[in-house]
Amino acid sequence: MLISCNKLKTHIKNSEDIDFLKIWDKFTIRTAEVEDVKVVGNNIDGVVVAQIVDCKEHPDSDHMHVLMVDYGEKEPIQVVCGAPNVRKGLKTCFVKVGGHIDGIEIKPRPLRGVVSNGMCCSGRELGISDNHEGILELPDDYPVGKDIKELWPIDDIIVEIDNKSLTNRPDLWGHYGIAREVAAITEHELLPLEIEEIKNDKEDLDIVIKNPELCYRYCGLTVENIKNNTTPMDMQIFLYYAGMRSISLLVDLTNYLMLELGQPMHAFDKRVVKSLEIGLAKDGDTYTTLDGVERKLTGDNLMIKNGDKYFAIAGVMGGLDSEILSDTDSLFLESATFDPGSIRKTAISLGLRTEASARYEKSLDPNMADLAIKRFVYLLHKENKDMKITSNLTDVYPTKLEEGHISLTKRKLAIYMGKTLEDNVVKNILERIGFQVEIKDDTYEVVVPTFRHSKDVNIEEDLIEEVSRFYGLENFGPSPLCLELSSKEQDKVYNEEYEVKYLLANKYDMNEVHSYIWYDTNMLKQLGVQKDGVKLLGKEQNNILRDDLPFSLLNIINNNLKNFNALRVFEIATTIVNNQNERHLAVIYADDEKNIERVYNEAKNTIKTIFNNLKNLNVVFKDSALEKDYYVNTLGKTIMVNDIALGSLNVLNKACTNKIAKKKVIIMIDIDFDKYVNLEVPDIKVKEISKYPCVNLDYTIVAKKDTKYSYISEVISSFKNKFINSSHLVGVYEDDKNKKYTISFNVGSNEKTLTQEDLTKFKDKFINHIKENALEIIE
Amino acid sequence: MENKIETILKAAKEEIEKTTKEADLMNVKSKLLGKSSEMSALLSSLKDMPIEDKKKYGSLINNAKKEIEEYVTNHLASLESKSNITFDDTIDYDVKKGSLHPVTIVGKEVTDLLRKMGFTIVSGPEMETEYYNFEALNVPKNHPARDMQDTYYLDNGMLLRTQTSDNQIHAMEKYGAPLRICAPGRTFRNEDMDAGHETTFFQLEGMVIDKNISIENLLYTVRSLVREILKQDVEVRLRPGFFPFTEPSFEMDVSCTICGGKGCPTCKNSGWVELVPGGMVHPNVLRAGGIDPNEYTGFAFGFGLTRLAMMKYKISDIRLLNSGDVRFLEQFNIK
Repeated sequence: MLISCNKLKTHIKNSEDIDFLKIWDKFTIRTAEVEDVKVVGNNIDGVVVAQIVDCKEHPDSDHMHVLMVDYGEKEPIQVVCGAPNVRKGLKTCFVKVGGHIDGIEIKPRPLRGVVSNGMCCSGRELGISDNHEGILELPDDYPVGKDIKELWPIDDIIVEIDNKSLTNRPDLWGHYGIAREVAAITEHELLPLEIEEIKNDKEDLDIVIKNPELCYRYCGLTVENIKNNTTPMDMQIFLYYAGMRSISLLVDLTNYLMLELGQPMHAFDKRVVKSLEIGLAKDGDTYTTLDGVERKLTGDNLMIKNGDKYFAIAGVMGGLDSEILSDTDSLFLESATFDPGSIRKTAISLGLRTEASARYEKSLDPNMADLAIKRFVYLLHKENKDMKITSNLTDVYPTKLEEGHISLTKRKLAIYMGKTLEDNVVKNILERIGFQVEIKDDTYEVVVPTFRHSKDVNIEEDLIEEVSRFYGLENFGPSPLCLELSSKEQDKVYNEEYEVKYLLANKYDMNEVHSYIWYDTNMLKQLGVQKDGVKLLGKEQNNILRDDLPFSLLNIINNNLKNFNALRVFEIATTIVNNQNERHLAVIYADDEKNIERVYNEAKNTIKTIFNNLKNLNVVFKDSALEKDYYVNTLGKTIMVNDIALGSLNVLNKACTNKIAKKKVIIMIDIDFDKYVNLEVPDIKVKEISKYPCVNLDYTIVAKKDTKYSYISEVISSFKNKFINSSHLVGVYEDDKNKKYTISFNVGSNEKTLTQEDLTKFKDKFINHIKENALEIIE
Repeated sequence: MENKIETILKAAKEEIEKTTKEADLMNVKSKLLGKSSEMSALLSSLKDMPIEDKKKYGSLINNAKKEIEEYVTNHLASLESKSNITFDDTIDYDVKKGSLHPVTIVGKEVTDLLRKMGFTIVSGPEMETEYYNFEALNVPKNHPARDMQDTYYLDNGMLLRTQTSDNQIHAMEKYGAPLRICAPGRTFRNEDMDAGHETTFFQLEGMVIDKNISIENLLYTVRSLVREILKQDVEVRLRPGFFPFTEPSFEMDVSCTICGGKGCPTCKNSGWVELVPGGMVHPNVLRAGGIDPNEYTGFAFGFGLTRLAMMKYKISDIRLLNSGDVRFLEQFNIK
C-alpha cells in the first residue's frame, strides 16, 4: 500500500515536529514492514504558472507552435510547444530555463530552427498524473509567475508498506489509521476527521438486508444537485501518488475515502436506484460487471439487488447499469460492511480481487460506515455549495459491534515481558493507541475501540502484543532458558534416519536424493504402469501420492542415467499406503546388466550391514513373489528380521528397465522404516574367549554348476563339531563344469590347544560329511 | 685351538657380511651354528679332552657362538633397515565418496545445536488432517492460508501439511508440559515453481512450553541458534508479525551477514534479513494441546531449512534440491 506523508500530516497535530523521512524505520519495528520510502517532486523545480499571450504555427512543423509566454517576468518569452491544446490565453505550467523536470535541466534550444526558452508541460512530465495528451490547463485565477509547488502538493514522501504485514490490521488500510499509528509512535495527537453531520429529518431509503450474517451494516444516503464534477488538484495528485487514477469528482471521492479511512464506498446513479436488497445470488444466474465481463454466480455470492435486478456484487464490483455517468447529478451513496470470509470467497471464485474486496477481507470496523458517508458529504459539499441531501442517512445495522472489554492480568503481562512495567507506562501506551484503561490491583481493565476489536484485539495476549510493541521490541534483552537437568524421552526417528543415511553415504558411497511425495505421471506413462492411490484435488498432473518409494524414484534414475553409467541413490521419505503415512527407506542400484549378480549381492550385503551394524540383528532373505508386476518375481526377496517382514529386495523387470535404459539392471531395496525404528536392539551377549589358540581351516567344496549356495550352506551347518567356533564363505569360483566354494572354519577349544591329531580327525570327519552329501572336496 | 676358533669366527663374519637377503642370512646362520657346523664339530671334539681344557675351550667356543649369533642379529637389523621394497608408489586412485542431501546436512547441524540446548527432536506425518494443520493451530475456516491455491487438499479429506507447526499439537498431546521440542520435516505448498519457489521444502519447528516463558527467552534462544548456525555474532531484531498460532507474533530479522548491517543490495539496504518467524504460543493452541494457558506460557519459531541450506551453500535455484540430479548432489560429500 502506498502512503502519502502529505496526507498523514493533515491528520496529526504539530506534524511539522515529525521527521517523515526517518520515522519509517521505527514504524517497521512497531507496526508493519515498510518496503520503500521515496521522495517525490524533488527532481522538479523552476516550474511556474504562465499564460500563453501569443500562439503562432511553427514555420517548419505541422504540429508545433511558437508561443510567447508570460511567466511573471518583465517580458514574455518565446517557447516552442508540440502539444495539441495550446491556445492564446491558456494558463499552464511552465518550466523556466534553468529549472528541472525529472532531474533534467531545461536549457534554451532550437526546435526545427526556432529557439525555445523553456517548456510547457503535461501532468505526466510533472510526475503528478498519467496524462500526456496535452499541456496542463490551469484555472484562470491562478497567479502568473507563482511557483507551482506553492499551489500544489507536488513535494511529498511516498511510503510503500508491505500489504502482507497489514493482513491482521483492518484499521491500517487507510491513511487515517496509519496516521493514528504514526501519532502513537511519535507521541503526537491525532486530529479528528472533519465531517458533515446529517440531520435525519427526511425519509429513510428502502434498504433490506436479507442475510445479516453476511452483511453486517448497510448505510445509504441520496444527494442531489451536483453541478461540479471536477476533482481539486491536490486530491488528484494524492490519488495519483497513492496509485489510483483521477476520473471525476464523484468517482474520485469514493476512492479518496477508501484510501483515507479504508472504507470502500459505492456511488450509484440515483436515477436508477429503486429499492435495495442485500442477499445471496441464485445459483447459476449470470451478471455483467463494470468491466464488461459476464460472470456466472453461485448461491454463495452476496449481491446488491435493485428492485428485482442484480445491481452489484457486494463488496467486490458494481455493474454497468449502476455506473456513474458524465451527466450524473444525483447520487445514491453506499457505505457498507460485509462478512470478510464471504467477500473473499466470492472474489476468489470470480477471479476478481479488487481494492474494495481486499479491504473487506480484512474485517473492517462496521462503525466507520456512517462516518465515511459524513466525510464524503463534507468533501462533496466543499466543491458543490448548492448540493442537497435528499434522504435520511439510512442505517441498517442489525447487530452493532460494541467496544471490547478485556482484563489484562498484570502477572501475565510480566511473564510475557520478562519484567514488570509500571502501571502508568502500560496505561500510557494503551491510551496512545485509542484504548481506555482502568488500573486495578491485579489487572488493567481495558476498553478496546471497535476499529481494533473488529479483528485483531480480542484477548489478553493481544493487549500484551500492543504493550510490547510500544514498549519497544528493541528494548527486549535476550534471557536464557532455565534448563531442567533431567533426561528427556527422545523421539528416535530423526536420529535413526540420520544413522542409516550416514552409513549408506559413507560406507557405500551412495548419494542421498530428495524427491516428491507424488508419482511423476509422465514417468508412469513412460513405464506403462498404472498407479492408484490418494489423489491431490484440482490437479491433473503429478496428482497421485506414491505407495512405493523406490518405484517413485525411477524418474530420478531415468534422468541420472543420461549422465552416469551406474549409480546408487537412496532416500528416506513418506509414502501413503492404505491411507496411512509410512516412512520408508529406498536404495536403488542402477548398473550394467552384466553386473547383475554382483550388484544383487551388494544390495543383500548392504541390507545385512544396516541391520547388523545399527541394530545388532540378523537378516534372513525369504523368497517372495511380490504382487507388483513391474518386478522380476523369481528374484524378489522379503527381508525378514526377528521373523517380521521389514521390507523387500527387488529387481525391476526387463520391460520397465528397457523403457529407462537398455542393457541395464535396476535393483531396489525398500525397508519399512517405521518398523525399523521400532526394532529393539538386543544386548550384546559376550562369549567367553578361549585361553588356547584357535586355527583357521579353509576347504574348497566342489559342486555341480546348478547347485545353489543355500544347499552348500545347509550341508555345512548340519556338520556339528564341538571345535567349530564359526564358519564363513570366503569366495566362489567357477569353471566350465563346476562351482567351487571356499569355506573357512575357525576351530578351537576352551580346554586345550588342539593337537595335530585333533585337526586331522576334524578334517576327516568334514570330508566324510561333504561326500555323504553328494559334494566333492579339494583336499 | 684358539687359532681354529679365531679362523672360524673370521670366516663366519665374512660370510655373514656377504649376505644381502634375509633368507640367505638364515641359511648361513644354520650352516654356521647348526648340528653339522664346524662349531658343533669343534664342540663335540672336546669330549676327549681333559677337564680343564673342556672348561677353557668350551667357554671359548660358546662365546664364539654367541658372537656369531650377535653378528647375525646385527646384520639382520642392518639388512632390514636397508630393505628396499620397490613398487610404483605414485599411483593415485580417486577416493569414492557418497553424499548426503544438503538439507540433511543443515538439518543435522541445527538439530545438534538444539539438542545441546535440551530440545527433543520429533517427527510428524506429512499427510495430515485439517485439524492438526489448521484448526488446532487457531487458523480459522476462511483464513487465506486454507485456500486451495496454497494448500494441497486430498481426495480422502486430508491434506499435505503446509508447515511443520502441526508437530506443536502432536508434541503437546504426547509429552504435555513442560516441553522443549524441535521438528524438522517436509512441508508442501500449492505453488508455481521457479528458481525461488518450490512445492516441497523443509522447515524446522521449535517450541518451548514452561512456567514463566517470556519474549526475552524467545529472543535468546533464536539469537543463540542463529549465531551458532551462521558462525557469526549477528544481532537479532524483533519485528511485529502476524501468525494465527502465536500471539504476540514476531518476524525475527538477522543483521545482514553480507554488509554487517550497514545496508547492501542483499538486505535491500535495510541492514536486516528476515529469517525466523515466531512468537508466543497462542492460548488457543495451548488449549488444543491440552495445556492450561493460565499455568504455562511458551514460544514457537520456524526455520526454513531449505532456505538455510540455500544460504549456506549459495544455491540460487531451489529446484535443484528436489531434482535428484547426482551431478549436483554428489558435491555434498562428507568426510
